[in-house]
Amino acid sequence: MSMIKIEHLRKEYPNVTPLKDVCVEINKGDVISVIGPSGTGKSTLLRCLNQLEEPTSGTVTIDGQVITDPKCNISLVRRKMGMVFQSFNLFSNLNIIENVMSAPVNLLKTPKEQAYKEGMELLKRVGLAEKAENYPDELSGGQKQRVAIARAIAMHPEIILFDEPTSALDPTMVGEVLSVIRSLAKEGMTMMIVTHEMKFARDVSNRVFYMDEGGIYEDGTPEQIFDNPTKEKTRIFIKRLKLLTLEITSENFDFIGSISQIEQFGRDNMIAPKMLRNLELAFEELLTQNILSESKRSGELLPASVTIEHSETDDTASMSITYGGPSYDPFVNEDDLSVTIVRKLAAEVSHSYDGKNNVTLKFSR
Amino acid sequence: MTINKTLNENKLTVGIGGRLDTVTAPELEKELNDSLEGITDLVLDISELDYISSAGLRVLLSAQKTMNKQGSMTVTGANEAIMEIFDVTGFVDLLNIQ
Repeated sequence: MSMIKIEHLRKEYPNVTPLKDVCVEINKGDVISVIGPSGTGKSTLLRCLNQLEEPTSGTVTIDGQVITDPKCNISLVRRKMGMVFQSFNLFSNLNIIENVMSAPVNLLKTPKEQAYKEGMELLKRVGLAEKAENYPDELSGGQKQRVAIARAIAMHPEIILFDEPTSALDPTMVGEVLSVIRSLAKEGMTMMIVTHEMKFARDVSNRVFYMDEGGIYEDGTPEQIFDNPTKEKTRIFIKRLKLLTLEITSENFDFIGSISQIEQFGRDNMIAPKMLRNLELAFEELLTQNILSESKRSGELLPASVTIEHSETDDTASMSITYGGPSYDPFVNEDDLSVTIVRKLAAEVSHSYDGKNNVTLKFSR
Repeated sequence: MTINKTLNENKLTVGIGGRLDTVTAPELEKELNDSLEGITDLVLDISELDYISSAGLRVLLSAQKTMNKQGSMTVTGANEAIMEIFDVTGFVDLLNIQ
């Protein structure tokens, strides 16, 4: 059963609308990583959930309670939702155990003695019991964030929202915070984590939201999102793809200009010289020597569009060439010198026809 | 592409540098066509050549055919990248590469 139901959530600011229409359900025990480029509303989504931001329209229902209803007692709802911020937000005038006890004592009216006992247990869980009497300023960033997590758990929340919990940390401290979040996931805590740590997102979560275009652009298991993303923008983001597109409208196109664009693309993206050379050769052999000379004969294949992709994550490249006319497989003449070169240099070649000709070449190191 | 010719009686050495591709291959072809008469020993020094495509290979092959009739042709100085192209196309067996 869904614990949180978000329906047609929209958030507008005067100049920008980060969330256009978000509809999603979150189940108890879900560990959801929220990923995507900057400015795609990841943090806004979290902040709309616990009403730190007021949604422009739409409803959020938590455990059957419509919290976007103005009559809803939001402070009661917020107790069900812990939030961990990028910048820790600890009370600097309180020591560590007081930071952890403060909300249970003041909001839940937990007796101080019990709150202290529970607080110390939590500090043990995050590995900071011995720092109980210290003040936040005496702690490292990683330690502060672990205290912030203990403080969130102290309220016995139904869900914890993490807003880029490791972004403000020195890289050496990221691990200790992630390992605390990891152990909470194992205990079955429902969590939603906005993060840029892709490996962590893949390991810890059962669901991944890729956010783009004003909403949850793709929602799937880590395997689906990281290994087989079905939508174009997810793929570009996950594979850290860099693209170059060249439009060829005439047989007398600017070959030298196109080659220098490919070379520039290679330099900008630090593509290895050999792979770049293979891309240049594929472009020349397949397009100018083969497809364009066929086009000169038949007059039917242009315009053509060439897209080169390079993936930073696995250092692979691909070239896809799309052109019109009837089905024409450029690899059909196996004795042709151009075809030989391309076949030998590419890891994979293919041609398909769906009203347009699609040629794909894949290159690996 | 750069082309440097050195003639020593019947021996012609042609240094080719840069890119030998769709655009530049016709230039080399013309240059060779104009200079091979009476040559018995042709050396193509490609140590400065960075890139070769099938268009360039065809020019080399055509020069080889001409020289088969009147003498010999040697290709020298191929770098690793160019050698790979000679390899995958079988040109290692068609040309005299040193």
